[in-house]
Order: sequence, then structure tokens, then C-alpha cells
Amino acid sequence: MRQYDRNEPPGLSEPTELSEPTEPSEPIERREMRRTVADFLDRHADIRTAMTNADGYDRELWRRGVDELGVSALLVPERCGGLGMSFADGAVLVAEFGRRLVPSPLLDTVVATAVLAACGTDEADWLLTEIATEGLSVAVAFAEPEAGWCADSLASRAASHSAGWTLRGAKEYVAHGATADLLLVPARTTEGELRLYVTRASDAGLRRTSRTALDHTRTLAEIEFTDAVAVRVDGSAGGADSVALLSGLMLTALAVESAAAARSCLSGIVTYLSVRQQFGRALGSFQALKHRCADLAVRVAGAEATAWYATESVGNGAQAATTPELAKVVCADALLRVAAESVQLHGGIGFTFDHDAHLFLKRGKANQLLFGSGQQLRTRVAEAAGLGT
Amino acid sequence: MSAGLKLSDADERFRLRARAWLADNLAGEFADVVGTGGPGREHQAVRRRRQWERRLGASGWIGLGWPKRHGGQDASLLRQVVFHEEYARAGAPARLGHMSEQLVGPTLLTFGTAEQQARFLPGILRGEVLWCQGYSEPDAGSDLAGVRTSAVREGGHYVLSGQKIWTSLADIADWCFVLARTDPDQTRHRGLSYLLVPLDQPGIEIRPIRQITGTSEFNEVFFDGARTAVDNLVGAEGDGWRVAMGTLAFERGVATLGQQIGFERELNAIIATARATGAIDDPALHARIVDAWIGLRVMRYTALHTLSSAGTGPSGSEGSISKLQWANWHRNLGELAVDVTGAAGLVAGGASDELTEEQLLFLYTRADTIYGGTNEIQRNIVAERVLGMPR
Ligand SMILES: Cc1cc2nc3c(=O)[nH]c(=O)nc-3n(C[C@H](O)[C@H](O)[C@H](O)COP(=O)(O)OP(=O)(O)OC[C@H]3O[C@@H](n4cnc5c(N)ncnc54)[C@H](O)[C@@H]3O)c2cc1C
Repeated sequence: MRQYDRNEPPGLSEPTELSEPTEPSEPIERREMRRTVADFLDRHADIRTAMTNADGYDRELWRRGVDELGVSALLVPERCGGLGMSFADGAVLVAEFGRRLVPSPLLDTVVATAVLAACGTDEADWLLTEIATEGLSVAVAFAEPEAGWCADSLASRAASHSAGWTLRGAKEYVAHGATADLLLVPARTTEGELRLYVTRASDAGLRRTSRTALDHTRTLAEIEFTDAVAVRVDGSAGGADSVALLSGLMLTALAVESAAAARSCLSGIVTYLSVRQQFGRALGSFQALKHRCADLAVRVAGAEATAWYATESVGNGAQAATTPELAKVVCADALLRVAAESVQLHGGIGFTFDHDAHLFLKRGKANQLLFGSGQQLRTRVAEAAGLGT
Repeated sequence: MSAGLKLSDADERFRLRARAWLADNLAGEFADVVGTGGPGREHQAVRRRRQWERRLGASGWIGLGWPKRHGGQDASLLRQVVFHEEYARAGAPARLGHMSEQLVGPTLLTFGTAEQQARFLPGILRGEVLWCQGYSEPDAGSDLAGVRTSAVREGGHYVLSGQKIWTSLADIADWCFVLARTDPDQTRHRGLSYLLVPLDQPGIEIRPIRQITGTSEFNEVFFDGARTAVDNLVGAEGDGWRVAMGTLAFERGVATLGQQIGFERELNAIIATARATGAIDDPALHARIVDAWIGLRVMRYTALHTLSSAGTGPSGSEGSISKLQWANWHRNLGELAVDVTGAAGLVAGGASDELTEEQLLFLYTRADTIYGGTNEIQRNIVAERVLGMPR
């Protein structure tokens, strides 16, 4: 039925009624939540201060977020004293924080609490209660020096003792890993089974080293586990399923964050080009620049829709298994492209540290690399789609 | 590919009903038209496809979304999407009546008088009367407001003179909806009128234009004293621009998901060819195939996303985003199609020495970024209307 568009009136060269860009319709509660979070961040979030302090994020903002928005309790089930919201609700916060590049352990905490809530074990519930009531932050410690983010190759070991479990191994690229209160860690039992564990960051059996990250708004740590005391949080049925869920939610959250950041970065470009005058006119009136922005708008619309679809598909068996992988690739690529254009289209000021363009550029590149590179994830998507060579 | 469309049981039954009807009709009497028609191949099986239009109409599949009082089915947007999907999945022939059903019909529903509706809608719904779109002219393409074809009132008629061009299917259509200048003293988008003109009359000459595919589906249409009754003016005299632009907003996006099923079939054929030729083992070609596959998903999610907010209705400007998205994707697919065939793509492949499917796809997808508003015009619209950049 391709002929449909072929016969639409071709030219729209004369002004007609302008239509407001319509926001995708969201449930009312979610739209209100989005507004509340946006207000909160507009009032309290100061990205520059947060990214330059020793912690790499603003503890005061986190504390406020716990009190006013319930950031740690959001996805914690009501039975554990939380707000019992869905992952799609959590994604609203991820998007709003992402839009502004707010340095925060929020994304990992949202994902970790969603995974813990799905575990349904006493151990997980007990931790969730503590996370909700104490306002704890959680970091996901997944990647390893050899395995990267490939779950099948993870090699950290969990040993069983009468009192519980201890962990041994090395993790890297752990977002906000040096400051988080808890760590969610996939590791293998001596039988080689992949399981999910939680350790306290204060445990004497682990050492955390903060690395200087390319992306100043998301600090990364290496963590060395030498018999760190841990609890196993997943139930007897399939630890690999919980690890797959963890990976899927991380990818989806990164997609949501990237799409939101891409949208705000594009708005920044458009605003600048509308204001900045050269040759006696607004730069944005040059068609060469309009067309570049239009192409970005197509990318961003596709990224938003893909992130939306991936979020809506969480927990829905009908979705293709690799929707999160596809979403992360599409959205992170879109963010990088928009951010790269942002630097270019801002001219000299876009190359300064004081302007935010480079923060989007760095977040874009980091999001392309986190949880699997574009190449690795494309390979996974291709294999699942039967496109293997 | 239907994951994501949330269907009620009743909608699901509707899907099965559509599927069964299509299977029955395409397996039997109309088996010969399966897969015929479409851009670059509109010359195929024309007589049989006209019969097919009538069959569709007789069974109530035309005008699904139109109001019941006008002979439609009042079907929801979702059901229209479902029908388009099933239609594409069944390999049913490209519609000859798409301009009738999707362009002039909705225009009449919105702007037509009760008499015009009573006169013209039934023929469209029965699949009997075919319409074509007479907008573009040699000197008025992207800049459509430059239309010069004139319509002068003489008694109870308008008399037309001038030329339209690129008029798809004019050679087989019965009627043409024409944008013509009724007020010679006005310029640009003022003084234009939207006229319904019967094509079978002495004052009209239609000449097919040969396209890059070697076949022809668009035409030159010459008006030299052609006449149409004043009753065939839609909207007020001089208000044709608004009427023509109103068509833009109609039911856009409904066909997109169905169109994607055709896209998927094309991509699957390319993948099969790539396996047969070994092209899939070429890392660069493999990467392009994977990107095409991902791009198709992104288009699907974009369409579903738009539909999910369809309560407010996708605006025309959002349509420009989707047009750019699919036109570029499809044009790239055309290049990929020939690339996976390798050197064999140098020569015609069929027994009758016709171009192969891959070669045709490569050629006809060049039109996607031109018709219905070129890529450049769509980018202008996105920049100015969606992003709000300065003019
Ligand atoms: C297969 C096919 C079927 C068609 N069917 C129909 C039909 O049924 N009825 C009908 O009325 N028309 C039809 N058309 C015509 C189509 O709508 C026009 O070809 C299209 O609008 C472009 O107009 P043009 O050909 O005059 O090109 P031009 O407007 O002359 O454009 C030439 C080039 O310049 C670019 N350009 C033009 N203006 C600008 C600008 N402001 N900024 C930047 N770039 C610009 C264009 O994008 C294009 O690349 C069909 C076309 C094709 C290819």
C-alpha cells in the first residue's frame, strides 16, 4: 500500500495553519509525575557542581529526591514499604534526569529495584525494604575485564558458606560504583550457575577505585571483590533469567535516557540557531542548517518511539528477545549524532568546556559503549533475527 | 510483526474476518492478480485490478473508516490499520482506487456538499470510479502555489485550459481532482479552486510519460477547453488551496503499518538472495542488511507510537517525519537489493529479459523521495513547523 503517500499534495510552500507539536499521549498520572520531576530538577539540580565534586554526584539532591519524590522507593513493592510503581513509571524519572544529564545513581537504582522486586525472595524483599526506607542507592556491577557485558562469559565467583555467600572477582565500568550504598552483582556459583547477589559497598571484602570517566556526568568505578559478604537475591528458578532481566532493563533504561537527552540536545541546537545572528539573519533561517536539524528530528523521533516501545514491552513475552539491545543501539546512536551536530552547530562556543554541548557528546559516546558496543549488540540482534552469517 | 498492536477480542475477530475474506478471494477468482501493481508496475493487470476494486467495494472493504451515513463502516483507526496489514500480508494487488478512497473521498466528506457526497461517494465505495490527482504542473511542483491551469466560468460550467504533469494513473482514471486558478487577478495560493473534472471528454488529452523503470504510470494531462459543471466545485471558489491542503491531514499513518509489511517482504527477499549469492558473508553488506532490519523495526515503533497518541491525531507535520523516515529507508533498500545480487545486477534477469525485482526496486524507490512532497520540502516542513526554526 505504498502508493498512499505518493499522492499526497506535494508542496507546502505557502504558510498554512501551524499545528503545535503534539506530545505522545501519556496516562495522566504519568504526565503529572513527569511535570513534578521536571520541576524538582529545574529547581534543585546543578549539573556543574555535581559533576565536579568528589562524589561525582550531588548527595543533597539524592537526599531530597528520596524525601520528595521517593526515588529509591519508586519501584519497591508496597509490601516492602515502597510505592509499587512500574518500570514504565521509573522510566519517566530516568528520562527527566537524562534530559538534563543530572549525575545520579538514579538509573541503576531504578533498574536494580525493578530486578529485586521481580526476584520475589525474602532476601530481595528485605533489601528492598531497606532501600525504600533508608533511601539507599544501588549500583549495578556487571562488566568484567575479560567478559565485558557478555553474561555467558562472566567469571566472578560466589562461594557458599554456612552464613551465606562471599564474592570473588573483578568488575569494572560500574556507574557511581564508588559511592553507591549497595552493589547488585551477577556472579557464578562453584557449579557455574549465574546468580544475582547484593553486597554492601562498605564491606571489608571489596575495594572500589574510581576512574576518571570520559563522561563527567557518570562516574565509573572498578571493584575488586576479595571474599566480600553477599546475599543471593534470586530464587531457585533460573538465576540466568534474573541476569537477563537485569541486562534487558539496563539497556532499556539507557535507551530511554539517551532518547530524552537527544531530544533536549536537539532543542538546544534549535534555540541557539534561532537566536544566533550572522550575515544579518538568524542562523536557523539558513536552509542548510534547517535540513540538518530536520534529519536529526527524524532520528530523535525514531529513538523516542523505540525507547517507548522497549519500555512498554518490558515483561511482555510477545516482544522480540533483543528489543532492549536494539533500543539501546538506536537511541545511543541518535544521541551521539545529535550531540556531535550540537558541537558543530554551536561553532567555537560548542568547543568550550563551559558549554554543555560536550557533556551530551560524552554522554552519547559513553552510552554507545556501556552495556555492549553497537557492534556487539547488533550482532546479538542479528543472530536473534536469524540474520546470522 | 503484530506485536505492539493491542487488539481487543472483537478487533482480533475483525482481523480474522479480513484475513479469511482476502484468502478466499485471492485464492480463487483473483489468484492471477496477487502481487501485481505498485510503483513501477502499475501497468500490470489493470483490467483485472479494476475488477478487483469492484470486488473490494461490493464486500464493504472500501471506506472502512468513513461514517456509516455515507456508506462507510465507521471502523476505528486500529481496524483500518489491521485491514491494511492483512491486505499487504495477503499479497493483494496494489490498489488502483487509493486516490479515490484516501484523497478525494475524505476531501468530499469534509468539504463537499450533500449533493456532491451523494453523487460521488457511492462510486468510490463500490470501487467503480477511479480518480487521479491533478496538482503538479510543469512550472508548479514543490512550489504548488504557482499553479497556472485556469478555469473560467461560462454559464453553468468551468472551462479549463492548461497542463498538469506527473498525474499518476490519469490514463486509466475516470475523474481527476484538479487544482486550478479561477481568479486570474490573484496570485499564489489565493484564487485557486478545487474542481472535479471528468476525463472522458474532447477537451482533454492524456499522454503517458515513460519512467526510469521503462514503464509508465504517470502522465501529462492537457486541458484545452475541457468543461466541468459548476456543481463540481468543492469548497468555495478561490478556496482551493485550503481544500487541497486539508487532504493532507486525512488518515495519515493508517497505511504506514500495512506498507511496512510490504517492506518486510522485500527485505526478506533480499536476505534470501544474499544467502543464495553469499553476499551475506560480506561484512559490509551484512552490516547494511542488519541496519535495514533495525530500521524497519524503528519505523514500526514510530508508527505504533504515533498511533498510540492518535486520540489527538497525528498532525501533518509528524507525517513529514514519517515520510522522510520511510522514503530514505526504502531508497537505501533499493540500493542494497542490487548490491546483494552482485555482478548479476548488470543485466536483466527474467526469462522475457525483463528487469529483476531487485533492479526494479532500485529504480522505483528513487521516486519515494520525490512524490508526495520531496525530501527537501519535507525537511523544510519539519524544520519550520515541527522544530519551529525561523523562516
Ligand atoms: C512517481 C511519481 C508520481 C507522481 N504522482 C503525482 C500525481 O498523481 N499527481 C500530482 O499532482 N503530482 C504527482 N507527482 C509529482 C510530484 O508531486 C512532484 O514531482 C514533486 O512535488 C516535485 O515537484 P517537481 O517535480 O516540479 O520538482 P521541483 O519542485 O522542480 O524540485 C526539483 C528539486 O529541487 C528541490 N527543491 C524544490 N524546492 C525546494 C526548496 N524550497 N528548498 C530546497 N529544495 C527544493 C526538490 O526537492 C527537488 O529535489 C508524482 C511524482 C512522481 C515522481
